[in-house]
Amino acid sequence: MGPTPTITIHVPGPLRTYCGGAAQLSISAQTVRDALEDLQRSQAALYRNVCDETGKVRRHLNVFVNSDNVRDLNGVDTLLTAGDVVTILPAVSGG
Amino acid sequence: MADRVILTIGTKKGVFVADAAKPRRTFTLRGPFGPGVPVYSTLIDTRGTPRLYASSCNPFFGMKVLRSTDVGKSFKETKAAPAFPKEDGRALANIWALEAGSGKKDLWCGVEPASLFRSQDGGDSWELVPGISNHEHARKWQPGNGGLCMHTIIRDGSRVHLGISTGGHYVSEDGGATFRASNQGVGAGFAPDPYPEFGQCVHKIARHDAAPGRLYMQNHGGWADWTGPGGPRPDIGVLRSDDYGRSWQSIAKGLPSDFGFPIVVHPHSADTVYVMPLEPATRSCPGGAPAVWRSENGGGSWNRLARGLPKKQSYFTVLRDAMDIDRLKTPALYFGTTTGQLWMGREGGEQWDCLFDSLPPIHNVKVAVV
Repeated sequence: MGPTPTITIHVPGPLRTYCGGAAQLSISAQTVRDALEDLQRSQAALYRNVCDETGKVRRHLNVFVNSDNVRDLNGVDTLLTAGDVVTILPAVSGG
Repeated sequence: MADRVILTIGTKKGVFVADAAKPRRTFTLRGPFGPGVPVYSTLIDTRGTPRLYASSCNPFFGMKVLRSTDVGKSFKETKAAPAFPKEDGRALANIWALEAGSGKKDLWCGVEPASLFRSQDGGDSWELVPGISNHEHARKWQPGNGGLCMHTIIRDGSRVHLGISTGGHYVSEDGGATFRASNQGVGAGFAPDPYPEFGQCVHKIARHDAAPGRLYMQNHGGWADWTGPGGPRPDIGVLRSDDYGRSWQSIAKGLPSDFGFPIVVHPHSADTVYVMPLEPATRSCPGGAPAVWRSENGGGSWNRLARGLPKKQSYFTVLRDAMDIDRLKTPALYFGTTTGQLWMGREGGEQWDCLFDSLPPIHNVKVAVV
């Protein structure tokens, strides 16, 4: 396995208050799971908005790697490569 | 600001605060506060400097607790919301009850899936109460239509009553360390055994502070015509206990329906109790004509209170925490509807006026004089 890629996490507007107002976070992670674990350590308040107590991504959130929903890839085990953008977005649901 | 009547109104789209001078002629509305997500519980904590609390049940980003230290002019998130330990395997789905504890910053919180949390610091940190949250029955409780919720917390010294839908009534006599199911006489309509040890769909429990042995319960009624195993279960919906909740007796005779959600006790009379009977199928008042029903003799007989309320074609629901009564000398009753109306019943419900008619669907109404 090569060096851990540096990727960008795009933070949606409603969650920026939980990470000092940052719109983007730059972190090193091999997979989406690694990226979330990094958030748990480095941005605990933000992490609690994204994942529930069991560690699962909240039901009404979608996580994209570039333009692909991780549900259509390999879930949180989706591999990341340098320069990838991980976007967290509320699902369009309800009325 | 002295002697203001404060209403907290939890809705589908945030929490509103209304206040008025003691004559209650005109209420001023503020809000919505929060990120436009459902608020199922509020608390007006009048111990010391008043604090207002509201749950903020965000389906996207999880549960939060909001706190106001300026009597509802602004709200901020507390530092943390209740959360299960990771190894527990459960995840918080909703916050259904916020109640003041004994210490100045002691708060109790009932959640979905049915569990109890306590905070000793005004909501900035929370601890699971294992005596009920990990009770041997807990994994056998089933969700009702509103979810598996702990919606009622009533404290009386070291005695703690809990209402769980669907779990039933549980009581602790050691300050919350241990709990036992206490449902003798509480019927269930959705199980072959009409009187199980636990698992009843309790909708709300209420009590007068000065008469802690007397409890009233709005249970899930509407089973008079059941023809399956166990037979019909008439009048199981409205109940009274005179022994601290050890046993319960029906007081539903005289009501047009034993189904409903809220139940409220008069602040100056333990014998005076209010319910809002609903058709079990539609969750609306019989005949489309809303009415609150009052008993002044502990449920022995009931009177219909509807002056000022719509006389027909009104099909809203009043949910379990959407009715409350203030503590003024001549109290007013308040209820909020799923169609976004907030009604006030002056003189103990004798005369009704609509205070606000176009709020979001209302889940919760609390009132206090501060």
